[in-house]
Amino acid sequence: MLFLKKYKKYEHSYITTSIIILIILISLSLFAPLLTDYNPVRNNARNRLQPPSKEHLLGTDQYGRDIFTRILYGLRTSIEVGISVVILTVIFGGVVGIVAGYYPQIDKIIMRVLDAMMAFPGIIIAISLAAIWGAGKLNIILALSFAYFPKMARIIRSAVISIKDLDYVDSARAAGANDLRIIFKYILKNSASPIMVQATFNFALAILDEAALSFLGVGIMPPAPSLGAMVTDARTYMVVAPWMILAPGMMIILSVLSLNLLGDGMRDLLDPHLKNTLKK
Amino acid sequence: MKKKLRLSLIVLLIVFSLLISSTVLAQEEDRFGGTLNTAFQMSVAHLDTDNSTDSMISAMMNHVYEGLFEFDENLNLTPHLAASYEIKENGLVYDVKLREDVRMHNGELMDADDVVASFRRWLEINNGGQLVAPHFDEIEKLDQYNIRFKFEEVYAPFLNILASPVSNQKFVVRAEEVIDEFGTDVIDRHVGTGPYKYEEWVPDQKLVLTRFEDYTPSPREGSFFAGERIPYLNKIVFNFIPDAQVRVSGVQTGQFHFAEEVPRDQYQIFKMDQNIKNVIIYPDRMSMLIFNNAEAPFDNKYARQAIAYALDFEELGYAMIGDPQFWRLESALHEKGNPWHVSDAGSGIYGVYDPEKAKQLLERAGYDGQPLVILSGQDNQMERQGAIAIQDQLEKIGIDVELQLFDRPTVVERRAKKEGWHMHLSPFIKVVPDPQIHQGWTGTNKWITNWDSKDSRQMDQIFAEMLREVDYEQRYKIVERMQAELWDSVPYFNILDYSRLHIRRTELKNFQAGWQPFFWNTYLE
Repeated sequence: MLFLKKYKKYEHSYITTSIIILIILISLSLFAPLLTDYNPVRNNARNRLQPPSKEHLLGTDQYGRDIFTRILYGLRTSIEVGISVVILTVIFGGVVGIVAGYYPQIDKIIMRVLDAMMAFPGIIIAISLAAIWGAGKLNIILALSFAYFPKMARIIRSAVISIKDLDYVDSARAAGANDLRIIFKYILKNSASPIMVQATFNFALAILDEAALSFLGVGIMPPAPSLGAMVTDARTYMVVAPWMILAPGMMIILSVLSLNLLGDGMRDLLDPHLKNTLKK
Repeated sequence: MKKKLRLSLIVLLIVFSLLISSTVLAQEEDRFGGTLNTAFQMSVAHLDTDNSTDSMISAMMNHVYEGLFEFDENLNLTPHLAASYEIKENGLVYDVKLREDVRMHNGELMDADDVVASFRRWLEINNGGQLVAPHFDEIEKLDQYNIRFKFEEVYAPFLNILASPVSNQKFVVRAEEVIDEFGTDVIDRHVGTGPYKYEEWVPDQKLVLTRFEDYTPSPREGSFFAGERIPYLNKIVFNFIPDAQVRVSGVQTGQFHFAEEVPRDQYQIFKMDQNIKNVIIYPDRMSMLIFNNAEAPFDNKYARQAIAYALDFEELGYAMIGDPQFWRLESALHEKGNPWHVSDAGSGIYGVYDPEKAKQLLERAGYDGQPLVILSGQDNQMERQGAIAIQDQLEKIGIDVELQLFDRPTVVERRAKKEGWHMHLSPFIKVVPDPQIHQGWTGTNKWITNWDSKDSRQMDQIFAEMLREVDYEQRYKIVERMQAELWDSVPYFNILDYSRLHIRRTELKNFQAGWQPFFWNTYLE
């Protein structure tokens, strides 16, 4: 694959760091049941607000739940939401973007609708949808996908437009390939890099916005663990139990930062215009 | 020689006592003056207590208006603007004599006309008045300072409701001219008899009151809302600050002298600050678990009893309130010290943690394992954390629970429906002056419990008896029966009582922790 080949050649430090962090985070969340003896939602209120200790690595919250455990499971929720949102935005955005880019007849209509949607900040759309549909994991995933897909559609559309008039597409058409074959075999394959970069950013954004929605109380329903909701809960206890806000806050920062670094690195590698700067 | 000594001793004594009294007097003088800045948590829509059930209004306007009767520290009813009263004809007639020298903020003396006009308005539009109205006959002015209240049937809680501390139920005396001007509309010109008078109200921002120089205090000894009120402060400013952390830092920096309802978990931090004193309001709230008595499984009393056995109340206390100094287990509807307190209410079921028995009772009630919906508010700490903790405890013993947390208006809308929820957690006001006006019970199938059965009709009967009984001893026996019935049928039950935490600066002296904050008799050093 193009990406791996280039990575071997340049060994971009951003990507190395971020991939190491991501592997750690993903394995933390995957192996959560093995890493902790506690249940993320079971209370033990007599043990509330305990500072970090041997039994509770990162202390306990106001219900006496182990914060380390909740962070692992909260991370799981974040990653689930992030991946689902990325998949959905790529599918939605892909369909809309390809149709708009490949068939100029309906391009204008689709793009004006998307423009209108992009006039609102994504988080506002997500908050309104979550408020209408109600809180919950599935609703959050749908709301965030709905908020993000216009941008993805735009990126895919411009990729399609720049590729579809190239000579090899023309020759494929001359050889009698139908639209579907041209789209999947020639156009999509060659526009993979901007889609991958944007998908990585969307992943980071989804984690951040899930945290924001949960922070505002329209996200993951308690008692299910969510990093954002943990920060909200911790606000009241910030002065008496600072570990409650530090731990989930750090997790959000780490995951979002590493994904953004990865996105940046990938763009550096895959963008032909930046090739020369990399060589230095 | 001896005589001389005695004389000099007497002279010395006189000089000494004069010295002491003058310093005491000087101290007393020193107390006057200053502007008090307070931070309250909610803004109000207007300042007319009769037209609202928002308890914030009465907390502030208690400084401007006074009642015929007020409660003292021990919830004893005390005549305030009334000088004395007499109950005649077995409770059908109340004769009240007014104090004769009370000046109002418009400079005139308060007399029977003001009271009659205010009372008619109260009866018509006030929440408390509307409770009284169906039993009431008429109010009569006997002479300038004597009034007669006449009832069609005996209504025992009458005087307690007149002085009620429950949201705005209290009857206060306003000037007749104001009532003529506004009728039942919202009053925005305030002429009362209180130690402070209305100066300025900036909606959503602040209310300013200034000292009423011609105030006539009650001759009785001051105790909470009753008795002598001395307006030491020149000015009281009520600032409306919805964010708790802003109220806290305002007091920490000295911008405010007093802040209402601050986070209980920061108690230790306030304690370490030498300029701040914690004010714990004795448990004046109950956390009430209400069942939807219309829907299975809680249409069966065994299922309702089962939940009481299934919950570890002490653990709930830690989870929903936190520090144990802010909550206590209490099975009775009326707190210890209240004349209606029943000490052995709920014995055998309250606070008995017995999951096995709970499972047996659920089986007996024919519970089919359907998920139970807990409906609760998400903004109030007690409601939110309590609901999460109850879900956790029920799930531990294998009961499937679905948690529904919403904002206040949605909760109120959903709990009013007959289906869609099973349990609901809500804070109740603990300080009620009379068992009759207990917040949770308004009759079979009324309010939100949807309780309609043989048991509920028996409860109707108990309340009807209580309404007609004027003798305290007899009435107390009825209250005991009511408590027993409540703990047998369990249409709703009290998990625990909890306190609120206010903070004040140390400069604010002589502050007493009442169920509503008040600032007469307090002064700034």
